Amino acid sequence: MSNRLNKRLKRWPGWLALGVVVVVALAIGTSRSSGPMTDSDRIDNISQRLACPTCDGESVYESQASAARGIKQQIKRFVEEGTSSDDQIIQYIQTQFGTKTLLVPNASGFDALVWALPAFALVIAIAGLTVAFRRWKMAGNDAPTDDDFALVSAAMHEQRADNTVEHDTSDTSEPEPEPSHGS
Amino acid sequence: MFAVEVAASINGTLGRSILLIGLVCATFGALATVYGIATHDERLLRSTRRYAWGVAAAGVGAFVVMEIALIQRDWSLKYVQQVGSADTPFLFNVTAIWSALEGSILLWLLILVGYTAVIAHRFRKRLSDPLVAWALVVMFIVCMFFFVLTLGPANAFKPGAVGVTSGPGPNPLLQNHILVLFHPPILYLGYVGMTVPFAFAIAALITGRVGERWLTETRRFALFAWGFLTIGIILGGWWSYEVLGWSGVWGWDPVENASLLPWLTGTAYIHSVLVQERRGMLRVWNLTLLVSTFALTILGTFLTRSGVIKSVHAFSNGSIGPYLLSFFGLIMVVSLGLIAWRGDRLRSPGAIDSPLSREGAFLANNVLFTVFAFVVLLGTVFPLIVEALQNRTIKVGAPYFERLSIPFGLTLLFLMAVAPVLPWRKASLELLRDRLFWPAWCGALAIIVPLMFGAHGFAPLLAFGMGGFAAGAAFRQLILATRRQGWRGLVGRANGGMIVHIGVIIVAVALVASTAYTHSSRLVLEVGKPASYGGHTFELVEVQSFTTPRSNGIKAPIRIDGGKTFAPAITKFTNFGTNIPTPSVRSGLLNDVYLTLESGAKAGATSAPIKVFIKPLIIWLWIGGALMVFGTLLSGFPGQRRRLPTQPTSAPVPLDGPGDGPLDGPLDGPGDEPGDGPGAVSARETIDA
Repeated sequence: MSNRLNKRLKRWPGWLALGVVVVVALAIGTSRSSGPMTDSDRIDNISQRLACPTCDGESVYESQASAARGIKQQIKRFVEEGTSSDDQIIQYIQTQFGTKTLLVPNASGFDALVWALPAFALVIAIAGLTVAFRRWKMAGNDAPTDDDFALVSAAMHEQRADNTVEHDTSDTSEPEPEPSHGS
Repeated sequence: MFAVEVAASINGTLGRSILLIGLVCATFGALATVYGIATHDERLLRSTRRYAWGVAAAGVGAFVVMEIALIQRDWSLKYVQQVGSADTPFLFNVTAIWSALEGSILLWLLILVGYTAVIAHRFRKRLSDPLVAWALVVMFIVCMFFFVLTLGPANAFKPGAVGVTSGPGPNPLLQNHILVLFHPPILYLGYVGMTVPFAFAIAALITGRVGERWLTETRRFALFAWGFLTIGIILGGWWSYEVLGWSGVWGWDPVENASLLPWLTGTAYIHSVLVQERRGMLRVWNLTLLVSTFALTILGTFLTRSGVIKSVHAFSNGSIGPYLLSFFGLIMVVSLGLIAWRGDRLRSPGAIDSPLSREGAFLANNVLFTVFAFVVLLGTVFPLIVEALQNRTIKVGAPYFERLSIPFGLTLLFLMAVAPVLPWRKASLELLRDRLFWPAWCGALAIIVPLMFGAHGFAPLLAFGMGGFAAGAAFRQLILATRRQGWRGLVGRANGGMIVHIGVIIVAVALVASTAYTHSSRLVLEVGKPASYGGHTFELVEVQSFTTPRSNGIKAPIRIDGGKTFAPAITKFTNFGTNIPTPSVRSGLLNDVYLTLESGAKAGATSAPIKVFIKPLIIWLWIGGALMVFGTLLSGFPGQRRRLPTQPTSAPVPLDGPGDGPLDGPLDGPGDEPGDGPGAVSARETIDA
């Protein structure tokens, strides 16, 4: 592909085309139905959301314990009857076994912290970064000036002129700008 | 009978004596080194290597004695009574050493003394350098702690009850797959390896030489440990998949989380260390990451080995908890105290000018990895907090972690796409528009191709797109580098790192596909009547019973697609009594067919209930993992081991790329000691200096 064509493709029409393609593809994929779910798929989904009441930290889905297998049988009966929704089945199992079968904490009361703290941590981290960047911006004054950069890059160009003798420079399909402002 | 008792007392006494000698060596090693540093006694410092050999010999010796005891079935030892059995085959008897708490601490010790000896050997010519000497002191102290554990709360050489002449053998799940030989030692090589960079970090803080040199000394150790941790985690997933029968690779079990935590902070470190090497910045941050990584290995061990958290992996044992918790506290207090004490020296010159720069991307990476580590830690200990404060039990299971890890995963993939094309210092939007164009089209292609194969759902497709985008960026860097430098464009930190990225992307895509598109069905097969599901046919051949000296069970050979047969089984280990289902898997490049035999199957019957899982792209998890390891190797060993500055790899490459040629090193960030220049030349050369 010629260098000029490559350059021209990368202007805004190229990016616009990309945006359209991605949006259309995602829209098709999202609207497409996931196909019929087998009973077994539903049982798997439901049992992944329930904790095995007698095991140490396994879900009903993973566990081979007899309590878990009992619950799986129960789920299977509900699913085969086909009258209850996933949530109803989970609700029923929980009224029977209590909160022991809850694999994910409720988003209420003290337990809500387990959901709130991650968001809080992210906010703190982003705020910290913002403060840091602001401070760096203020302190950035004693960084090298543009004149310094010009001086160094002139020296490096000189060196590059020496190097190019040994290196292939015919390849210019994607000339990279200077790798860093500092070079 | 008499002979057994004599042999027994020999192994027990021998083991305890060796451990005691090890403790003495480590203690004297630490004391002598500190004394040598204080009195500037170079001769003494050069001799500390001997203590390291002593410690190493003791660690290896104790491990060997325990292996001999297991092989001899030395029933007088409590540990052999616990994990030994006359029926266990040789291989699983050898691996039985790490199937319970005491032996796994011996394995930890073995690897720890190995690393100590490697440091003493590698830096043998510089033992009188205070930085190296203090690092050795830290290693000796950590060794001391583990010797204390093996002599106290995790004593594997405790005599057992008299008259016992048999044992149950290791847990059934630890004696039915070859991976039990590889996963624990490799994971520990990574886990324990994090001690080395930690030791150098502490040494840098104590000596005040907090410049960039200590980083380059330990860069390869950190990379090596990280690589092993990665392999260990992936092998663990593979093992779980092949053995546990629920067809998953990762269950967010507390022990799995404990291995993921140091991996997350370690990954953050190996990225942000580049900012320090290049720009001399983020010193406090990098020290904090190293300290956290090491502290998390100890905290993780405390959480999972002391019995405070229950998990399928946990070995129940109570008395080791306070030791590990105190050690964790000591690490935190000492490290944070040192960082506070050295605060003035740690303030780094320079500034990060723009968030849109290579260093800005590394910072974003670090924020994501540490917040993610916080989330995993929080989810793991939250049940403990609730129990302590409110005295009720709750569970935080896989759905919680899965829901929270999706946004992190997607954002990290996006960063992996953008970061490699960013220059240091500052990037313009035009530059991004230029460099990201073809990678972005790779992303579009990565949505369209699965769509043609019938993929659906917003989140999985977005993940594929991000994966394609990131892969595009990685390939772009590799293509540019190989164009410039030939095969050398594949080695070194930046380029090897891109190969690791491609491995990570493959793993991510495989995880997404196998989680989102797994289908399963329960089939009742009858002999001679093929049934079909998910595009495959399954034909039951027969239902057989089988017996081995240690187990009996039934298996059902099933012919898939009229070809080879696969035989899922249910095994009952005589000494344990529980039914262990053993899945049988047909692997393929596009999907795996995973079969388990369900309860209700009877030997000799003409029908059997089975469960079939069709799991796409699973094999790519292992391929991606292998690629990550390969990339790690390439980034750890650039070119020849000893290079002169005049030799090609360190010769200046043309200045037109984001490579790490010596000449586009930083122009600022003065080091604070001679030879501490953060430029790439000095960074590289000091490794072998």
